[in-house]
Amino acid sequence: MSQHAVSFSGVEKTYRRPRLLGAAYHTAVKDLSFEIPAGEVTGLLGLNGAGKTTIMKLICGLLFPDAGRVKVFGHAPSGSEAKAKVGFLPELPYFPPQVRPTQALEYYGRLSGLSGAALDAAVEAAMRKTGLEPHAGKRVSEFSKGMLQRLGLAQALLHSPDLLILDEPVSGLDPLAIHDIRQLLAAISAEGRTIFLSSHSISEVEKLCGRVFIMVRGRLERTVRKAEWEAAPGGLEAIFVEAVR
Amino acid sequence: MKKVLSLVWTVSANAFAENVRNRFFTIFAVFAFAAIYASVLAGVMAVDQEARVLADFGLTLMELTALAYALFNASSVLLREAETKTIYLVFSRPVPRWAYLAGKLAGSLLTSALMLAVMGLMHLLLLKLRGFGVPPAYAWALFGSLLKLAVITSFAYFVSLFSTSAVSTLVISGIFWTAGHFAAETRFLAEQSAGAKSLALNAAIWLIPNLQLFNARDAAGFISPAAFLSAAAWTAGSYLGALWLVSRKEF
Amino acid sequence: MQRLALPVAALLAWGSGSALSVSGYRSVFPPPSEIRTPVAGAASDMLALALGTRRLFADVWFIRLLQYYGSGVFYAQEEEAPSFEWLESKADGGHHDHHDHRILNGGGKYPRFLAMSRHVLEIDPYFTVAALYGAGSLAFNMGRPEEAQELLHYALKYSPREWKYLNVLAAIGYSKANDPAAVAASIAPLLKDPDCPVMLKQQAAFLNKKIGNYAAAAAIYADIYTTSRDTAYVRNAERELQKLAKTLSAGARSGKPR
Repeated sequence: MSQHAVSFSGVEKTYRRPRLLGAAYHTAVKDLSFEIPAGEVTGLLGLNGAGKTTIMKLICGLLFPDAGRVKVFGHAPSGSEAKAKVGFLPELPYFPPQVRPTQALEYYGRLSGLSGAALDAAVEAAMRKTGLEPHAGKRVSEFSKGMLQRLGLAQALLHSPDLLILDEPVSGLDPLAIHDIRQLLAAISAEGRTIFLSSHSISEVEKLCGRVFIMVRGRLERTVRKAEWEAAPGGLEAIFVEAVR
Repeated sequence: MKKVLSLVWTVSANAFAENVRNRFFTIFAVFAFAAIYASVLAGVMAVDQEARVLADFGLTLMELTALAYALFNASSVLLREAETKTIYLVFSRPVPRWAYLAGKLAGSLLTSALMLAVMGLMHLLLLKLRGFGVPPAYAWALFGSLLKLAVITSFAYFVSLFSTSAVSTLVISGIFWTAGHFAAETRFLAEQSAGAKSLALNAAIWLIPNLQLFNARDAAGFISPAAFLSAAAWTAGSYLGALWLVSRKEF
Repeated sequence: MQRLALPVAALLAWGSGSALSVSGYRSVFPPPSEIRTPVAGAASDMLALALGTRRLFADVWFIRLLQYYGSGVFYAQEEEAPSFEWLESKADGGHHDHHDHRILNGGGKYPRFLAMSRHVLEIDPYFTVAALYGAGSLAFNMGRPEEAQELLHYALKYSPREWKYLNVLAAIGYSKANDPAAVAASIAPLLKDPDCPVMLKQQAAFLNKKIGNYAAAAAIYADIYTTSRDTAYVRNAERELQKLAKTLSAGARSGKPR
């Protein structure tokens, strides 16, 4: 197994948007190179449109790089070996409103290759870890935003992935829900799993991560370690503001 | 292989379950029932031909209802899953894209088969209440409708992957459906024409599936053996085209 | 090359489906050149073809034909009923008098009857009941045997083995030769067939009654009474059965054979 959970080398991704006459091109990430060590919690900060979601989708194999190379545990992201090790939580996950959480988790569990008793155990464990057990009888339509986020996290945890990719995991949550999610992620990290999360909340990133990438207009502007921002006057926020200005 | 087939079945069963839960399914079922009942009035007007008119109305309305739902579903399902990011949760997992597409298509066809079966039972019950037996070649007529739906549904999936909206997919698929019934007339015109017109008409004969092949309802229950192979070939062609598009698609 | 594998495979699959269709399919329906559509019906004919619903729209056209022609004309008194003389008057060269019952049965009206009957078959050439109904009405109700023959010849073009058309053609021939017994005998095999329109059954019963074959007439009226859903024909059959019952029982009392 590669020492690095994720490695980007010289990656470029350009979006093409068809127009009435011709097309418009927007380069989301350019000449991007970094590694995410296995077992660490790494954060991704940047303004809107900096390329955070693009990076996450490239890791999950939802996008293909136009240049450079992406590796997930040494494999191509679009391959089944890489995907079997990745759990992805997109921003604002959607579930069919008429289903119950266990039904949704059973579906995604089967897609991850689980079945029978192993599937039942995984669903039960995911529900317990994310605090959804008391709400097992409700339909998704009755879920609050926080509960939906927990369900999204539960589906990412089902197959015990080695790498968790979380896009805005605490977006729109109340302080109690944020606290619970943070505790959960800390517990997952303590198990030795790799977590890569993006967020607009600098304080959350400070509490969870050991290292942060700061993206500015598609380029990796700075990589900051925990020791550095703890020592800096103004903390990570000041470093971030200076990087993006 | 078994694991991958299990994935196809998982996607298919989920698509089927979602269609059954979908409110539109109920609406179409109600519509079909009401429409079949309306055919009773036409049957009364036809007096001694009531059995034939009831059978023809019912079979036609069943096919059109199942077609409407199948096209509506096929034209929007992939688009909706992309818009709601549901597809992120699928393709971030080790699910081959061919298995996902096959599962979605199979789920749609299972739904169509169920719709035809349920409406068929309702129709037969109505015929029995009016004192008539099962019309000749009834099962073949329904099966022919299912083959037509298989061809047009897979085509709709293909179109949905490059069209700009669900509405345009619906329109294109609907045009293909009607054009598919003009195969004999197109051939007749091609034989009468010359030059560019003949070329265009002959191209149309090859490009547009001949849905009359499966029209057992109008052809007194006759479906040629070639029809089964044609249905499989056209469905496979659309599926492979859709797979080509979805394998290159980014989300 | 690998990138082209899928689109090539898709085209090959589609092409093979089309090749099978082109080689294996021959339309069993009339070509567009044979469909003589009245302007008012062009839209429905296009819809019939576009949706692949020929049978349904043929049914609609048949209902229109029934409504155009109306229900059967029945007479309370035997003396008022159209006798066989109208056939004889035709043999006489079309001599008309005020008892010409061709007019009573619409001989001079319904100019579009043939066109409408034929149109049903242009949409669905296998609608046997419509062909028999149209031919029977033209030949035996309206006294227009040539039009009836034209209709049946068109029907035979797409159903050359349909014996019922041949039997009715024979009946028309016998009617021209003023041989009602032969007419009745030609129609007789059709009577139990599900494709036999009640109008033809009615004609057969009437003919049998006229030639004195009361038992056969009663059997046909009984069949109409039990199987038809057309209340006009059912009521007439009920009336005729009552009359025939009296005739038959009177005959039995007198000992005369019937």
